[in-house]
Amino acid sequence: MNLVVNGDAESGPGGTAEPVQDVTGWRIVQGGPALISYSHGGGYPTAADPGPADRGSRFFSGGNSPRTALLQDVTLPERGATGRRAVDRGAVRYTLAGWLGGWAGQEDGVRLSVEFRDAKGVPVALSVLGPVTAAERLSRTALVARTASATVPPGARSARVLLVFTRAGGTSNDGYADGISLTLDAATATGRGPK
Amino acid sequence: MKLNRRDLLKAAAAAGALNLAWPLSAGLTPAQAREAAEALGADYDPAPFTLGVASGDPRPDSVLLWTRLAPEPLAPEQDLPEIVEVEWVVAKDRSLRQAVARGAVPASATLGHSVHVPVCGLRPGTRYWYAFKARGVTSRVGRTRTAPAGRVSAVRFAAANCQAFHDGYYAAHRGIARENVDFVVHLGDYIYEHGQVGGVPEDHVRDHEGPGIFTLADYRRRHALYKGDRSLRDAHAAHPWFLTWDDHEVVNDYSGGAGGAPLMQRRAAAYQAWYENMPHRDGGVTGGTALPDPEIHRVRRWGDLLELTVLDLRSHRSAQNLPDGTILGAEQKNWLKQGISQAPDAWHVWANSIMLSQLRRSPGGRYMFTDQWDGFLAERKEVLGHVHSSGLEDLVVITGDWHSAFVDDLRPDFDDPSSPVVGTEFTAHSVTSGAYSPDWNKANGPVMGAANPHLQYFEGNRYGYDVYTVTPERFSAHMRVIADRRDPASPVSTLTAFHVDRGTAGSYEDPATKNSPAQYRRD
Repeated sequence: MNLVVNGDAESGPGGTAEPVQDVTGWRIVQGGPALISYSHGGGYPTAADPGPADRGSRFFSGGNSPRTALLQDVTLPERGATGRRAVDRGAVRYTLAGWLGGWAGQEDGVRLSVEFRDAKGVPVALSVLGPVTAAERLSRTALVARTASATVPPGARSARVLLVFTRAGGTSNDGYADGISLTLDAATATGRGPK
Repeated sequence: MKLNRRDLLKAAAAAGALNLAWPLSAGLTPAQAREAAEALGADYDPAPFTLGVASGDPRPDSVLLWTRLAPEPLAPEQDLPEIVEVEWVVAKDRSLRQAVARGAVPASATLGHSVHVPVCGLRPGTRYWYAFKARGVTSRVGRTRTAPAGRVSAVRFAAANCQAFHDGYYAAHRGIARENVDFVVHLGDYIYEHGQVGGVPEDHVRDHEGPGIFTLADYRRRHALYKGDRSLRDAHAAHPWFLTWDDHEVVNDYSGGAGGAPLMQRRAAAYQAWYENMPHRDGGVTGGTALPDPEIHRVRRWGDLLELTVLDLRSHRSAQNLPDGTILGAEQKNWLKQGISQAPDAWHVWANSIMLSQLRRSPGGRYMFTDQWDGFLAERKEVLGHVHSSGLEDLVVITGDWHSAFVDDLRPDFDDPSSPVVGTEFTAHSVTSGAYSPDWNKANGPVMGAANPHLQYFEGNRYGYDVYTVTPERFSAHMRVIADRRDPASPVSTLTAFHVDRGTAGSYEDPATKNSPAQYRRD
């Protein structure tokens, strides 16, 4: 199950390149994102550009701000195969995934990260994806898949997902993101080391 | 027998073996690289606690403890399980028999097997000792101190900055480790990002381990190299530190607010490695941040005597020399101004990585460097104007970056002689990073003095750190200098001292050392 709400940019206001004031599931901590339709045109990614196969109708962009940041706090499940007991045995793995991209040869981009925190809010694990460079996109307008996986450290109780769009120049912040997910899986082997 | 590193370097160079051992050649395994580094002067604590222990961000009831497991400190990946449990203990005595708190935390490979433990429930103004245990090994014992609460009659602290590994040994940190101070402030340029400089041993005592750094593995290795100087580890283990950063933790003169994807990738790697290697307590001001972007700016109080404001002049800045440019970022600027408006009656100290005062090259001439606040004129005027209009008194700004010592009066408008003095800036000598030549300093000290009427003092021929002693009546800056940065045990002496009297804007030099060498002093 994807623990990220509205990781596909399909919910809430948007549809054009105009920045929105609210994004379902996310907190805007800087700048103003736009949730743009793949059919919007104007040089933005389309259904024909490289990106997720099941891309739905919209994607995230950085709007017109030099730096736009979206944040989502996730409470980890208390019970079940990926609940606290399993986490504290070192028996849960997480996978952070997303499609990240930009426009043509420009170096605008977006970075996706997740920070796992213990009950006191102290960081105990971190995975960072992107931003994808123009070279990594072969200077094409595209979104490319990025993923990271690791063991959820014992004691972890929450996760903070952060999307940061950065503009290299011009007016439009052309970092693009779609298909953001954070999933947990029960692991068979523990990664926990001896005392 | 004590290793004479300089002689060893010379012997290795004469034998043609230097390129095999130092700088570290590309073909070496991490273990061989470590062996080569150790043979030529770097050393490490016993594994897995090779990088030592540290504490930071002391508060009246809490301090942050740090260590990082790195059995092979120069390896990009450590031969460790993905998660390692690390036990910690805090005690009232050096032998750790009188424990007051203990626990266990996970060290994740995703964070370089670092741990950051905020220990709470401690007593104010109290000295503690601490240690870690992992994989059956106990770390060295570190010493720390909580901030006091209530009425405080004195505080003593040190400030360090700019510690280019290749430019010298950390005799200054050896001195800091031995100082009787309550805490240490590091003002940035903790590491340098560039590649090898060459010229060992005649021009440099040692060198970086490889080329310029870009990836997370690169930055982890560079931090590990720097912590290969025992004196740095000793200074961390001796006192709690407050931390800010400057540019070289990422790359020279960068602006962190935005930029192209290659720089943003590099910045994220550098920021993450910085966090992994520092006793930094993250978050707390905005509530809207997360790694890999540590939140550095904060206000801390040392009882009723001192209010320390730590500034981050890199993460949120725009490009230089823009009419609406920012060095603080809008959010941090508003936070700083609000803090000025609401400041208690105390000494107000700003930890400021890069020079706040104006510095022209010549009378009416161009600025020396617009990477410092001179590249953000409107914001400087707004902030210092707010200091004045708010009636804030007893402001002392401590600064790094310049590799030389300056003392400046702070004015809202540095070009207007009638603009009031609102505080004092002490820019400290660097730990090792190279300054201008003695000839340049001799020629340009008087020129800078003439071009900058607020400049009181300049000395650029020495290396070291500052110690500040503070009472309700007086703030004193003691310039502690080492004799020779090529000597890891170089003795420390006090070059001179400046004082600021409570309620009186402006500084004056201690009469006892007013005849000490300097390349400019305003008489």
